[in-house]
Amino acid sequence: MTLTPQKLVLRSILAGVVLLGVMAACVWIGSQDVSLADVLKGPGVEGSPNIQYIIFMQERLPRICLAAIVGAALACAGVVFQAILRNPLADPYILGVSSGAGLGSIVAVLFSGTVIYGRIAGHFSWIAEATGMSSLMIMAFVGAMLTVWLVWVIGRVTGRTHVTGLLLAGVVVNAFFSALIMFLLSIARARQLQSTMFWLMGHMMLPENPLMVWFSGGVVLLGIVCLLMLGNSLNILSFGSDDAQSLGVPVKRTCFLAFGCAALITSVAVSLSGLIGFVGLVVPHAVRLVVGPDHRLLIPLSAIAGASFLVVADTIARVIIAPAILPVGVITALVGGPFFLILLIRYTKNIQWGPA
Amino acid sequence: MPTLLLAVILCGCAKEPEPSQPQADTQMRIISMAPNLTEILFVLGVDDEIVGVTKYSTYPPQAKEITSIGTFWQPDIEAVLMCKPTLVLTLGFEQQTTLAHRLEKIGCETQSLDIESISGLYEALSVIGSKVNKSEQAQKLVSAIQNKQKELTDRYASSDKIKVLWVVQRQPLRVAGTKTFANELIEIAGGINAISDTINVYPPIGNEEFIGSMPDVIIEPSMDSEQIQTQKATAREFYQRFSVVPAVANDRIYVIDGDLASRLGPRLAEAMQKVADCLRPEGEE
Repeated sequence: MTLTPQKLVLRSILAGVVLLGVMAACVWIGSQDVSLADVLKGPGVEGSPNIQYIIFMQERLPRICLAAIVGAALACAGVVFQAILRNPLADPYILGVSSGAGLGSIVAVLFSGTVIYGRIAGHFSWIAEATGMSSLMIMAFVGAMLTVWLVWVIGRVTGRTHVTGLLLAGVVVNAFFSALIMFLLSIARARQLQSTMFWLMGHMMLPENPLMVWFSGGVVLLGIVCLLMLGNSLNILSFGSDDAQSLGVPVKRTCFLAFGCAALITSVAVSLSGLIGFVGLVVPHAVRLVVGPDHRLLIPLSAIAGASFLVVADTIARVIIAPAILPVGVITALVGGPFFLILLIRYTKNIQWGPA
Repeated sequence: MPTLLLAVILCGCAKEPEPSQPQADTQMRIISMAPNLTEILFVLGVDDEIVGVTKYSTYPPQAKEITSIGTFWQPDIEAVLMCKPTLVLTLGFEQQTTLAHRLEKIGCETQSLDIESISGLYEALSVIGSKVNKSEQAQKLVSAIQNKQKELTDRYASSDKIKVLWVVQRQPLRVAGTKTFANELIEIAGGINAISDTINVYPPIGNEEFIGSMPDVIIEPSMDSEQIQTQKATAREFYQRFSVVPAVANDRIYVIDGDLASRLGPRLAEAMQKVADCLRPEGEE
């Protein structure tokens, strides 16, 4: 392995500059015309507020940051799940995050009017007040974490063939919860259905409290740093858990830590944006095709690439049918698929498939 | 077989007190496949002849007592047949037209109605009127609504247009576009839709567009009649982050009865007045 720390830092900084460039460009694109001059005028005086400034500072900039956070989390989690499950088809949702979060959010939408839900939610209203998150976001997060925990426990019970058991548990729990989602959707009223469908297709939701964006960003960043520190162990783990064990890697602990961090950042992402497909699957593979399978490089670069990709996709979703918006998941799938195929054809000559 | 017959009879006669058999020729057995169609039938005074309605037919209150044949987007054909209808009124969208075709094949008379706009409602009223032999009442109702429309249009023709956003859903924000009858209601009341043309009928919009459209008034139809109060209570909290928007700054957010405002039905004149009241609360010109 010829990766020196200098090389790693240099490449990460280079990619980071690209991300900042993408964000700086996308921030000037939107359904409303906002120019730098407008923004520089400041918030305006009482009575005649500067609308352009407010749109820029309160809506567009936070949304771009949000897209970057979510994109980084999903892509990074994708890398890690592909590594610990040793399966190139793994994505951040494979172990039940999507259906768990989906179930949580649908429960929040469907039962928000009922007395029982109101009473239970009343006990936890301090969370909503402190964080400025809607009950839908909170329920999505709780649903995701509970489901991942459930899958982990089932996977543990299955014992030695740890990875296979985990994978199967995830797939089956996903299928079962999806069935529950289908059931709830089929008894939902038309208007509730609209709201939920949009969520299931991925939709950036700004928390009411702007501090929450920074807080989520901090959690995701922390998760990515933890995963980065596990990078070398993940490299060795991809030879198989028995080999890794004999090479002195604490397999169980590494798996648990990597799994926990990845699940946490995915849950954060999902609660902010619904189910955005493709980012967590395509971006890790695309980056791996270009820079190779070393996780120490793969993790930071995937995070940055995922962030850039989602910022662009979200910008397209915001403006392509303005004044209306599209669910961003539609764009990630439409853009991500062909883009990935192009990379696949160009780089497949000398590639080792997946981390396995 | 006898039990089945009994069920049919019981089902059909749930409301009527012992109708004598010979009447069957004159007495129609009508099924309404949408809440607004139910309202129309009641207003035309044929309530005794309605044998089945869709779920959520909540107005008038008597409608709740009639046999339910499923929701209007997932009607239950067996329940429809059990009611032994002589006339089934449907709306003109996929699920309902498919059902109408199947019913026609079985030999049951259906009438499909396209009620997407106010003019569509006028047409539908006269069609239903002639189908149920109540043309006179139907015409009266049409002219009553038309009079209201003319009265309001004339009154506000020369006044300044008020920018209105008709919010049908908050998360994500979804509003009535320019091809909706909500748009017609806004224009009759001397307003203009704050959202321009889009490919969606009810476009989902971003917060940015919401602020940029700068509505003077926000109107939210409630989910149903019971939810007006809860929705009013949460509206202020939800919209407070958009305090630069005039409608929010001036506290001009109105939650109106969704059963009234989201249905193109016989109470349209009332809905027109209600929207006009929201736009100009003190009757200002």
